[in-house]
Amino acid sequence: MLIFTLRRLNLFIFTLIVLTALSFSLSFLFPGDALINLTGQVNATPEQRLLLIEEYKFNSNIFQQYWAYLSHLFDGDLGVSIASHLPISSEIMNLLPATIELSVVALIIAMVVGIPLGFIAAVNHEKFADNTILFVSMLGYSIPIFWLGLLAILIFSIELGWLPSAGRLSLVYEIEPITGIQFFDILMSNSEYKWQAFQDATLHIIMPACVVAMAPMTTFIRLARTSMMEVLESSYIKAAKAKGLTFWQIIHRHAIRNALVNVIRYVGLRFANLVTLAMVTEVIFSWPGIGRWLIESIFQRDYTAIQGGLLALSSFIFIVHILSDFIYAALNPLAREHNHGA
Amino acid sequence: MNLLDIRNLSLVMISGNKRVVVIDRVSLTMKEGELRGLVGESGSGKSLLAQAIMGVLDTKWIIDADRFHWRGTDLMRLSVSERKKIISKDVAMIFQEPMSCLDPTTTIGEQLEEAVDDKQLTGFFWQKKKQRKLAAVKLLHKVGIKKHSLCTSSYPHQLTEALCQRVMIAMALARRPILLIADEPTAAMESTNQGQIFRLLASLNQLKNMSVLLISHDLENMTHWTNRITVMYSGQFIEAGTTEQIFTTPFHPYTKALVESTSHANLNVTPKSRLSALPGSIPILKHIPIGCRLGPRCPRAQKACVDAPKTKSHHGHLVSCHFSLKDTY
Repeated sequence: MLIFTLRRLNLFIFTLIVLTALSFSLSFLFPGDALINLTGQVNATPEQRLLLIEEYKFNSNIFQQYWAYLSHLFDGDLGVSIASHLPISSEIMNLLPATIELSVVALIIAMVVGIPLGFIAAVNHEKFADNTILFVSMLGYSIPIFWLGLLAILIFSIELGWLPSAGRLSLVYEIEPITGIQFFDILMSNSEYKWQAFQDATLHIIMPACVVAMAPMTTFIRLARTSMMEVLESSYIKAAKAKGLTFWQIIHRHAIRNALVNVIRYVGLRFANLVTLAMVTEVIFSWPGIGRWLIESIFQRDYTAIQGGLLALSSFIFIVHILSDFIYAALNPLAREHNHGA
Repeated sequence: MNLLDIRNLSLVMISGNKRVVVIDRVSLTMKEGELRGLVGESGSGKSLLAQAIMGVLDTKWIIDADRFHWRGTDLMRLSVSERKKIISKDVAMIFQEPMSCLDPTTTIGEQLEEAVDDKQLTGFFWQKKKQRKLAAVKLLHKVGIKKHSLCTSSYPHQLTEALCQRVMIAMALARRPILLIADEPTAAMESTNQGQIFRLLASLNQLKNMSVLLISHDLENMTHWTNRITVMYSGQFIEAGTTEQIFTTPFHPYTKALVESTSHANLNVTPKSRLSALPGSIPILKHIPIGCRLGPRCPRAQKACVDAPKTKSHHGHLVSCHFSLKDTY
């Protein structure tokens, strides 16, 4: 297990090196002055500029420049935004938690709804339930997400008035941001209206999270269905039947875990997709997340912000990827160690 | 009374809207304490027959039989769940490829414990867990695994094939079955391990009076361990009799060819002479011949062979052939 962890860490470090190299090279590839792209100091005086050149080692070779960039990164300095002149790192710290919140809630919804539905479909293979679930998943997969978002706003906010259509929390609640994750902040705050605020935050997240969860959910349904069907046809299920276990005992003790192993493998992969969907959804629901900010930055040609946002988002996705690897290893004993002999 | 009495069992596979009769009227009887062998080439439907008896086949298979009795109760009259209840209480099965028959994500111990029948345990539910563990350890000792704690805490992929097979046998013994169906228990195993597994099965047969249906394609090993042998070919019944009858006076041309092709069983082969074998190979499910399925390969086939032969009994030696070799001895 230690070796497994070390290998994952190793992978993490090398991926980060490649990522930072990419984001560093972007400042040269973007139009304009590389130093300005890197730091975001558009209106620097000649003296400040000299200071920046010294700081970022722009008078020496490219490796030293990269190293200087890396050390700035480790100090938490990603430059300032070209558009707003605010430090990128503080912007990201403010915005990333909202995206994490949205995408994690969406992932949980997609898994909690999608995987059991897939299992139910597999157990009732080629019956009414299976066909219905497959039909719904096909439908959900082919609906464009922005349209679904607008439709959801139209139905649930405007027609029925059940759910708020924009934002994270109603403005009447004043919650001190500590972690940035809204739900934790609400629980940690000592506001009188804590529970009302919690309820309000839940109402706000339901619609965007469900819209984001739609497409991954349908993939989880189909993944879970095929993997469960494979497991149910395997010989150890036959052997378990011959042991005299009842059908539900077999499902509960043997089938679910083995089917989950195959599904979890793909969760990490789907997560990158999910974050992209979350970025689009953030725009529709005015969710104050990093995706909306990044899209705005692209429109404003805010190169420093694009670099920083890219770095932050991709490291986040990668961390989730590694986490899902660990969950996979916890479920599957075969992944934990090398096979000896076999 | 016969333990298991199967007369003319057919197994139909539905694929698409086609029906393929995979097993065509096979009969099999087992007496109490008997060690019977079921022999045939791979693809002859031995494993399918065993799985049909166990009731673990999925919905695309349809079983039909003139008689399917287990200790006097007619199983064909019972519903699927009732049949399964009776069968899983008294019959246990060891599958081929033990490694793939163990759940790869669950430890051996857990899998063994869940096989232990609730009825064997006494006391309250908090005592049962401990008893289950104890029962599992005892079972492992019974099949000759001494390092029980190491075995129970491992996952299937950490054990060797032979150890997994022993675990499978232990699991099969957990319910104290009256009949044990062993489906090629020693496939892909070297001969020392093979011997150990067979000896274990034979001793269980002798000490516990447990009937064993040993399925194998290896006729040679069968001679040592079985009392009676049933031969199958391509889903059809060929011949059944005592081991001696089958080996010394085979009535069916197929059995004769099978016996002659094993070098050890047939001691009067001169060195470097050509081993006899039937031409061709077993038909695939798409192209099953009508009548006697051995027809195209049979040296004695004649026009009458396009009709499936009826089974004839000669003093307990059953044979299903129009032109049996009985008169040549």
